[in-house]
Amino acid sequence: MMHAFETLQLAQLAFPAEMNNSVLAPYLFVSAAMFCIGLIGFMTRKNMIIMFLCTELMFQAAGLSLIAFGRHHLGSDGQTFVIFVLTVAAAEAAMALALVVLLFRHRESLSASAWKELNG
Amino acid sequence: MEQIISPIALYLICALGAAGVALALPRKGLAHTKDKAFQYGGAVIVASAFGFAALLMGLKASDAGNPMPNLFFYPFAFVAIGASVRMITHKRPVYSALYFIMTIIASCGMYILLSAEFMAFALVIIYAGAILITYLFVIMLATQAPTSDNEDDLTDVDAVAREPMLATAIGFVMVGLITAAMFGGIGELSSPKMTQAQAQNSVLAYLPKKVDKILDRAGLLEDGWAVSRDLDTGMAVMDPDARTIQIELAGKDDHGDDTVLATRTLTSEDWPEALAADNLDRLGFNLLNDHPIMIEVAGIILLMAMLGATVLARKHTELEDALKAAQARKLGTMFHDDGEPSGGQA
Repeated sequence: MMHAFETLQLAQLAFPAEMNNSVLAPYLFVSAAMFCIGLIGFMTRKNMIIMFLCTELMFQAAGLSLIAFGRHHLGSDGQTFVIFVLTVAAAEAAMALALVVLLFRHRESLSASAWKELNG
Repeated sequence: MEQIISPIALYLICALGAAGVALALPRKGLAHTKDKAFQYGGAVIVASAFGFAALLMGLKASDAGNPMPNLFFYPFAFVAIGASVRMITHKRPVYSALYFIMTIIASCGMYILLSAEFMAFALVIIYAGAILITYLFVIMLATQAPTSDNEDDLTDVDAVAREPMLATAIGFVMVGLITAAMFGGIGELSSPKMTQAQAQNSVLAYLPKKVDKILDRAGLLEDGWAVSRDLDTGMAVMDPDARTIQIELAGKDDHGDDTVLATRTLTSEDWPEALAADNLDRLGFNLLNDHPIMIEVAGIILLMAMLGATVLARKHTELEDALKAAQARKLGTMFHDDGEPSGGQA
């Protein structure tokens, strides 16, 4: 425990140092928790904007584990893929919000259950 | 390798987290103050459960002599999880979006701990600065805001959760399963394929000008000397693993042509501390050299999203038939019979 206090520094470890599995695990745990909280939000909330916000939270959780794994393998591929995830998230936000605005104009409601007849 | 923490403790923590989320999810018919207490209490319970789990993992690692996460990891994780729970449970969409910004900033902190500085700042700019502002615009455009602070003014859409118990149970069973699976397999995770020196310096040979600048700043280059470049590839002649660099003095020969007058090799003792590729060098090189197609694909995705959003969000205005006919005539007179534009004189 004291070791942690003694080595207070900004980065986890100076970059080229290898990161142990025991350091990787808590990051993955937080990422899994964030992902599932986003999933719960997507399932429970009725407001379409909040539902799409929850998908953004899931993207975010995926990005965290990508960066953590990338750091573990000492490569930049994880970070490169997070750039790609950001692109997809931005595209998704633009499309989703346009869709929400369109649906809101038709029914004057943001409720997902206002479009129940689409369930097939 | 044994489990990082015992599965029983893990499942107990997940159950505690599930109880916290179920408590905090919006419901009807609660007094305002009691409701607030439930929401904050739930978020704190969940965040504490996960903070406790992360601490347990750290202590277990510390017992086994393995390194712990940086101390700053714990507040960032606590804020990230607490704010994400507040985000999915808050009844007002604008506050949800603001709590999401908080989650993002906390995860940026974790990115910095993982030495991904560029992505951390890019995330603040792109997510908190651009995407979330768009969300806020749409929330404000598309929501009938309650007139007073009274929660009763909120519509059922925001104030009541759908199947809170079932969804929470499913979500936290998933957390338990994902984490148990990950921790079971984390022992078999392969160690990094490249050595530490490679990870830091493999890009340097592609950046001869940067090497020039750093060597010059370190006082290792006399006037006219520069790092030798490979004639075919333009790469610096160096061995990042052995930490040796070849430098040369360029000049003119008797006929006035460019030639190399002298070369020298800097050994690993001369290698300056500052000579290392930073995160941005490595990321940029990885992006442009190893994944060039990805940039094209990203560009196409963004273009399509822009087109799609424009098409979806535009307002359909109903024109009367007479007006449509007039418009068609107007367009028709703009062109001669051979299709040449007549200069827009309609």
